[in-house]
Amino acid sequence: MILKYDLSQENLALLALPPTEEVCYCVPYDIDEKGNFLDNSYVAATRKRIIVLENGARKAEYMLSDCEKIASEPQIDCGLFLVTTGGQERIIARFSGKHLSRFSYVARGLMMFLSGNMNLVSSDEYERTCPKCHRALPGTRECPHCSKQGGGTAKQFLLMVAPYKKQLAVIFFVMALAAVITLLNPEIQKHLIDDVLHDRKGTLSDAYLFLCIIFGLSIGMVVLNITKSYLCAKLGSTLSKDLRAKLYHKIQILSLSFINDRRPGELMNRVVHDTARVRMFMQDIFCNMFTVLVIFVFDMVYMLILDVKLALISFAFIPFGILLSTAFKKNIHRRFHRQWQKDDDVNSSLQDVISGMSVVKSYGKEASEAKHFNELADSYAVINRRNEVFWAIFFPMLSFAMGAGVYLITYFGGVNVLNGRKTPGELLQFINYTSMLYMYLNWLTNLPRQLMNLVNSVERISDVMSQEPRILDREKATDLAIKGSVEFKHATFGYKSYKPVLEDINLSIKPGEMIGLVGASGTGKSTMINLIMHLYELDDGELLVDGKDIRDIRLENYHSQIGVVLQETFLFSGTILNNIKFAKPDATYEEVIRAAKMANAHDFICRTPDGYNTYVGERGFNLSGGERQRIAIARAILNEPKLLILDEATASLDTESEYLIQKALERLTGGRTTFAIAHRLSTLKDADRLVVIDGHSIAEIGTHNELMEQQGIYYKLVTAQLEMQKV
Amino acid sequence: MPPFGKQPPHGGEHEDFNLEQMEKETEEMLKLRYLNKDNAEFKRTDGGFVSVKVGEEFYPRVHVIRMFPFSDPDKYISIRTPDEHSKEIGIIENMKDVTKETAQMLTEQLNLRYFTPIITKIVNIKEEYGYAYFDVVTDRGACRFTINMGGHAVVHLSETRILISDIDENRFEIPDVTKLTPKELKKLDLFL
Repeated sequence: MILKYDLSQENLALLALPPTEEVCYCVPYDIDEKGNFLDNSYVAATRKRIIVLENGARKAEYMLSDCEKIASEPQIDCGLFLVTTGGQERIIARFSGKHLSRFSYVARGLMMFLSGNMNLVSSDEYERTCPKCHRALPGTRECPHCSKQGGGTAKQFLLMVAPYKKQLAVIFFVMALAAVITLLNPEIQKHLIDDVLHDRKGTLSDAYLFLCIIFGLSIGMVVLNITKSYLCAKLGSTLSKDLRAKLYHKIQILSLSFINDRRPGELMNRVVHDTARVRMFMQDIFCNMFTVLVIFVFDMVYMLILDVKLALISFAFIPFGILLSTAFKKNIHRRFHRQWQKDDDVNSSLQDVISGMSVVKSYGKEASEAKHFNELADSYAVINRRNEVFWAIFFPMLSFAMGAGVYLITYFGGVNVLNGRKTPGELLQFINYTSMLYMYLNWLTNLPRQLMNLVNSVERISDVMSQEPRILDREKATDLAIKGSVEFKHATFGYKSYKPVLEDINLSIKPGEMIGLVGASGTGKSTMINLIMHLYELDDGELLVDGKDIRDIRLENYHSQIGVVLQETFLFSGTILNNIKFAKPDATYEEVIRAAKMANAHDFICRTPDGYNTYVGERGFNLSGGERQRIAIARAILNEPKLLILDEATASLDTESEYLIQKALERLTGGRTTFAIAHRLSTLKDADRLVVIDGHSIAEIGTHNELMEQQGIYYKLVTAQLEMQKV
Repeated sequence: MPPFGKQPPHGGEHEDFNLEQMEKETEEMLKLRYLNKDNAEFKRTDGGFVSVKVGEEFYPRVHVIRMFPFSDPDKYISIRTPDEHSKEIGIIENMKDVTKETAQMLTEQLNLRYFTPIITKIVNIKEEYGYAYFDVVTDRGACRFTINMGGHAVVHLSETRILISDIDENRFEIPDVTKLTPKELKKLDLFL
């Protein structure tokens, strides 16, 4: 996202900055004080001041040294940029949703200046419209249109298909052959009529010979078409399979922040739908594209050679044909888009009612809901009927109109035949070429849309492929057998650079210590754990494990020494055995049983019908929350982790299973450095030290007794929970 | 002060936190406190906002929020604290309940908070590869915006009233589509 727009010469002159002061941020705002749209207005900031330019005039200036606070405040469909000076918060700019996140970044950047940090913030968010051509971007960094002009997308597509050169060569050969045969057919028909049938020139055996040739060519055409479709389908599915595998691999190594920045389902769409679109293009379009193009071009050339005048007459209808066919398609698209929308309405209303059936019934609203649904279904039926009628009437008319060129050719050509300037066979040949021309014209008018779909998909795929993972093994990263000491030094981190979640954290943990993390939700407890798991990297400061920078430890090696039990246990589709062995696939049966016993899981596993081979997961055997949790603990124990992370591991469990899990956890945590988050503070009673996080930093630290004596936040939380239990 | 504030604490030894406090807050949330010209005093701040004094309480800046922005934009205005708790200070049931000057002040605040331009003229709608590019005139001036055709960018508030959301999450309103010219209606047809 652009945080520094280029200013025009006039605007730059208005800033009148001394040469030593450079513009750090410059973003446009688009609403004036009266609430009307505005152009050519900017908020520019240097490391010393903020200058507001409105409509080619300098409107205001604030020295950063006078500012107490700078903020961007979202409103409804707009936002305000606020500066606090002398205890007074004032509005200095107002903008629409287009610039909302831009101003948030700038506000954060300026607040950093105020705090003495002179670094600049940057934004990895993508622009939503192309700054060059103002088209909407399909969720990519590069604009498919603008990068196409530089050969970008075409090049990317070529790179994608490059590994399949041999298959492509065969396909091209077959396509060329198909084109030649298609073009040859009318020529042979001409000879049949002129040299054999006309005036009874030939014998019956000549006729048979031609029949055989025509028959042979038809068979050849069928064989070629089958080969072509087979090859293209094969290439399409191989290509899409390979792309899918590459995308999947890439998404796995990309950092979580790339994945979290995108809407859920968007990446899945790219893996599933965009690759499918490439496959469909290869199958349906690519396989015919070159045949059609070759036929179309040579058809025209051949017609010109045969008869320039007639050829030009039939060409004259091409623009008319294109116009007619695109207009028809546009209309059809409109109509069916509306039908599709209505269909969607009907579906979602049906889904609403069925999933909310108990509410509808308990309030006795069946009749009114039924009426509402009937109305929707009726309006869908009306649109559907109208569209089908339209199609039935106009499609034959279109076909007729598209063939209009042929009638003219038949007339003028017929006159020529009667005058003896042309043979009947030549006329038939010419008519055949003309109908061929119009047949493929219709197909060609579809091509731009299909190509654009492909370009968008290719762009979305290569957008992921070109991402550099933010967490990579450093070159000097090495393996480390973790003993278990962890140290945060001035650690600062935020998922978005303008919004820190943790600020200046200092904490030193000895090997084998159990740390309880306490604080209200959203204060950064889970974030701290994400950092320890090295799923994210610090923005500032250091995180040391056994005195070594976490970034200098090889990721795979590090992760193999961490055990994690989360609130919601994710079990993969598969057997209990495979789920326990997940982190250590080569574990023996005995090791698995030992781990399960330690986790208090062995007994319930034995009670299931298929024991350790019981199939669990999305569609598998139904385990209770506590049982799933104990499998997760067994998974963690089996791995013998040096660092253990428990994120609300016992929340949402009934008392009995909580007891069993507590016991299992006690065995697990013994001697291991453990980080535990729990809302129910009683579960943290065994912790060696408690860390209370509040307002982005560590507020209190100490043992349970120490913190109770301090009578601070922890004390309040504990007494609050005791009070609630009394009730 | 509400009567329950004076009850003795049940917690006994824990004085600074307790159920009483929470109960008090919950009770307060249930209350509907109407503000009018007799019990509330609104004032403009130098920064362009509004402050309010209700009895003993003084709020240097408040948020002014519509409860029914579509069905009744000028009634039931909620006055809230600007922090993240966004506590309700009170409700103005009708702008007639406050002085003309205050009504003016609050309307300014509402205009600052809400920005949903009303489309008065559709110059052109261009459709290209899944997006529609609108070129319109609104009550806030001429404007171009882009919507995603795949999503649910157009929402019907009633049979004739529609709200269009663009890709930047701005919203535009057409209060009555039947008032558009046939030519404009044809351009918009696909989205209705």
